[in-house]
Amino acid sequence: MSGFAIETEGLTRVFRNRWANTELRAVDNVSLQVPEGCTFGLLGANGAGKTTFVKMLLSSVHPTSGSARIFGRDSREAAARRPVGYLPENHRFPTYMTGWSMLDFYGALSGMDSATRRRKIPELLSTVGLDERAWNIRLGKYSKGMLQRVGLGQAMIHAPRLLVLDEPSDGVDPVGRKQIRDVLQGLEQQGVTVFLNSHLLAEVELFCRDVAIIQKGKLSLTGSVKELTSSGGYRVTACDVPEQLIPELAAQSKSHRVEHGLLDLLFTTREQANKAVDLLRASQCEIESLAATRSTLEEVFIRTVSEKQGG
Amino acid sequence: MTAASFNATLALIRDTFREAFARRIFWGFFGCCTALLLFLIFILRVDVVQGALATVSIFGNSLPSTNVQNLVQQTQSVIAMVLYFAGMALSVFASAGLVSAVFEPGRIELLLSKPISRTHILLGRYAGNVLVVAANILYLVVGSWIIFGIKTGVWGAGFLVSSLCTIFVFSVLLAVIVLVGVILDSAAVAIMVTFAIMILTPILAQKNTIERLLSSEWSRYVVRVLYYVLPKTSDISIIIRHLILNQPVESWMPVWSTALFGAGVLGIGLWRFNKRSF
Repeated sequence: MSGFAIETEGLTRVFRNRWANTELRAVDNVSLQVPEGCTFGLLGANGAGKTTFVKMLLSSVHPTSGSARIFGRDSREAAARRPVGYLPENHRFPTYMTGWSMLDFYGALSGMDSATRRRKIPELLSTVGLDERAWNIRLGKYSKGMLQRVGLGQAMIHAPRLLVLDEPSDGVDPVGRKQIRDVLQGLEQQGVTVFLNSHLLAEVELFCRDVAIIQKGKLSLTGSVKELTSSGGYRVTACDVPEQLIPELAAQSKSHRVEHGLLDLLFTTREQANKAVDLLRASQCEIESLAATRSTLEEVFIRTVSEKQGG
Repeated sequence: MTAASFNATLALIRDTFREAFARRIFWGFFGCCTALLLFLIFILRVDVVQGALATVSIFGNSLPSTNVQNLVQQTQSVIAMVLYFAGMALSVFASAGLVSAVFEPGRIELLLSKPISRTHILLGRYAGNVLVVAANILYLVVGSWIIFGIKTGVWGAGFLVSSLCTIFVFSVLLAVIVLVGVILDSAAVAIMVTFAIMILTPILAQKNTIERLLSSEWSRYVVRVLYYVLPKTSDISIIIRHLILNQPVESWMPVWSTALFGAGVLGIGLWRFNKRSF
């Protein structure tokens, strides 16, 4: 056992247009490791290569070079995909199926026998919050939110150890999103690895433990959400600060603001914040508050993308 | 085959049936077959006289007495030919959509993410499609065979065997649909190519006449190659007729060479499907 649910090494996909003699490196030398039991978010702008990466992982796109492994097995082997549940983005589930028959079909393809399917389907349809009256209605009559729910159900039908979800809450109302998040959190507690591909950064921040940012096919950043968002800086607020001290403090800070007699300073490092506190205390100033600030995942994402675009 | 693999195959076949039923063209086909069977049951009246002669009446009008065996065989041969050409065209038309539907973006990715091989997926769909058409053909052929048998006492097996030949030729044409579908994702082009083969092969069946009309050796060679490579739908229709009329079949070459073509085309289709990125 490798200890990784997903492991890619130098995964690359180049799309060539022989007529126009052009090529596009949709995914460029991506090496990524997702530990078992982890909740992992893959972020990236539109066209960054996220979906191609996921498709290579699940063998619907063949890599130009590099390799992908799922729980230590080459992802090109059909058996490697047995512990994987997948909900694609822009899915087109057959409209002639009902919620029930869809789960039955994909459950059978995942190797489940019919008795187990019959037992699990109602349980799962309830879990994903699909009203019992809709179970035997054709998917063509389902709303986008209902399709997402039943799609999530089919991904979970065979109790996978790895769930790969592409925009799982797309088109789902806020209550439904919370429900889906609760379902995923339940799976996480059972040790299921969840690989989330989503544009909803707030959702990824709420749910995922680790993230990776992919930009123009290359991996720009990986790390835990906690680490990445904790680097927001340190905020020091003080009152009764003498006028002559403000320029000195402002020079050391990332930003400063004076409002209602309070000086608000934002520092990048802890050392800078400590120095400022020493200086303020030496000048008999009162410290109103001192706190480590956090960036949002959105800020981290935009910063990373902008840095790369800037060169 | 493991139980899981068998379950997956059954699921793929069942899914093809479900999709076929959702497409009204198959119900149309089924309706036509039922109408013909009802016609044979209620409208066509055959009175067998002394076990050898029959008086036939349609819509109450009697036709001259004829040999009952001959009458049944001729009628069955007409049904078989209508089924072979018109039914085949209809089946090809309906099946092209069934094959290309699998390659739709948003659907194929999900299928490929399941723990079954691409070959298994495509063959499962292919088998399902053949079985859908076979069910319709057998419904008509076995149904009319029973009706004729009860009404006349003639139970020749040739008509039943002819239905297997029709299913066989359809499975070869379906291989063409699969190949074109895998390469071009287009049901329309798949239909066009298959119909082109269906139109071309009866012409090529006249190769001896065509060769006499051609002046250059290379063009005669091209005709010969096309004749031997492409499926021989026209020649097989003659075999079917011979089987029904209890006449000896001169050569089985059209059958085995058509089978080779089908296997080759299906093999290329599977190879392409395995290589392709979606």
